[in-house]
Amino acid sequence: MNLVEKILARASGRESVEPGEIVVAKVDRLIMHDLSGYLTSQVYEKRVNVPIPDPERAVMVFDHHFAPPTEQQADVLQHNRRWARKHGLKLYDCGNGNLHHAAVRNGHIKPGMIVVGSDSHTPVHGTLGALAVALGNDSHAGTVLPYGKAWFKVPETTRVHLEGTPKPGVTPRDIALWLVGRIGEGELNYRAVEFGGPYVRGLSFWDRWLFPLLCVDLGAKCSFVEPDEVTEAFVRTLPGGDAGLLVHGDGEEAAQVLRFDVGEVDPQVACPPTVGNVKPVSEVAGTPVQYAELGGHGGGRLEDFRAAAQVLAGHKVHPDTRFHLVPSSREVFAEAAREGLVLALHEAGATWFPPSTGSNQAYNMGAMASDETMISTHARNFPGRNGSPDASMYLASSETVAASAVAGVIASREGGQA
Amino acid sequence: MKFEGRCWRFGDNIPTDRLVKTQYVFEPMEILVQHVLEDLNPEFPKQVQPGDIVFAGKHFGQSSGRAIATKALQATGIGCVVAETFARTFYRNCFEVGLPALEVGLNPDFAADGDRVRVDLTTGEFTNLTTQTTIRGAAADPFLVDMLEAGGLISLAKNRPEVFR
Repeated sequence: MNLVEKILARASGRESVEPGEIVVAKVDRLIMHDLSGYLTSQVYEKRVNVPIPDPERAVMVFDHHFAPPTEQQADVLQHNRRWARKHGLKLYDCGNGNLHHAAVRNGHIKPGMIVVGSDSHTPVHGTLGALAVALGNDSHAGTVLPYGKAWFKVPETTRVHLEGTPKPGVTPRDIALWLVGRIGEGELNYRAVEFGGPYVRGLSFWDRWLFPLLCVDLGAKCSFVEPDEVTEAFVRTLPGGDAGLLVHGDGEEAAQVLRFDVGEVDPQVACPPTVGNVKPVSEVAGTPVQYAELGGHGGGRLEDFRAAAQVLAGHKVHPDTRFHLVPSSREVFAEAAREGLVLALHEAGATWFPPSTGSNQAYNMGAMASDETMISTHARNFPGRNGSPDASMYLASSETVAASAVAGVIASREGGQA
Repeated sequence: MKFEGRCWRFGDNIPTDRLVKTQYVFEPMEILVQHVLEDLNPEFPKQVQPGDIVFAGKHFGQSSGRAIATKALQATGIGCVVAETFARTFYRNCFEVGLPALEVGLNPDFAADGDRVRVDLTTGEFTNLTTQTTIRGAAADPFLVDMLEAGGLISLAKNRPEVFR
């Protein structure tokens, strides 16, 4: 069995499981943000409403808001706070960062766990060797909170094997975006996706993170990187981090293997209207951008701010572009401050926002007029998520986003426009 | 389980953000239902009739896995949603909220807006009565049929708590 099958077998009290079987398994952690928490609480209160037997199983992080702009949104957050208090759920209020980063940084995600949440990027926790799956609000309200369990269909596994050496200036984010275009949106529907091969092995934990993050766009149920010494070293840095929890697969090859050479990839941009509409930066270079943002599930890492500081050294943000910086956690903001990145980027003309999920769906920031365009490290670019359905969102690496902020138009770090 | 009705055809890669737009997420269902898929076909929320059948393209319901998107589609009164392929959270949510769903594989020209269509969830058959043609999709897993017959996951868990204890 591989990591996914082993975790599902253990959590459902079986010796083994086979792809295609439906099992009911014990869930270790439910993670909710302010929107999914609200929707789950509505269902729970209306249709279930029994005391929650193990409230420590659930964690809520307010990340779509850092300071509610309307009375309606303030009411939503107050409702969530009351619900969390009533049931004893762990709550990280506004300003604590993005759901997935805050959950990891505060020690709520551990290897070998089953982690669920209705944020569709929940599978990112496969980077730690957890089985992490996005479920809907009714699963959370109907079975996870009252019974600590959920139903799962055991997925077939695809291994994405990445080898080769990237060209200079090509980042892991470029490779990840390129893969969505190359494999295709929804093409790995219902499957588990293992990211492996020498390229993945050579990446740091936070660069590996960008790969399980994208599996939802391929249609996958979950994703993982087989735990190794990089995983183990990262787990030891977390509160309560215990490398003894690591679960390893038996090493058998996946049912399907897709091999790619990362050496053929140029810097990439996902263009509107979908994450799979990926092109080399050169094809859209020169498109004016009113906003550039480092933040969201795919950004706001310390690595992103370091890259931006390098790109902006000796330059200023273009006067027609606003450059937003949104740390993914309080820890990242503190680390950026200690390294001098906060002042350097501020003085270059960028604007820091509170740790949160930034312009993700424009609940607290990031609405655009119909003729405006943003380039960002966000994970989604569907029309209508940021103000006008006619506004445009491009997704790129932090290097490309920073170079575009300097140029005022889409530009790659190499490539002249900057 | 069989359903018959008028077909509403939608395209590929439609995200849940277009079923329930972000600005309406906190609104009551009476409001949500007036805006379902309106950006893609403004007539749909106005003209949809009970028992109509939505036939969408590839990777229908991608993006956020919030069940409210399936609930809003269900609240339009449609009898069933068919797609060439579904995003998995959307497919799961359909059964959990009690909305029948059938995946039929790539058949972009099988049915058009206004055709009469019939769905048999147990056999996976999808019939276009207007053109008199039938294709066979994936029959729903018996666990999911049980869930639909119970009225959704929460009802199933209440009726048969032993499944989840």
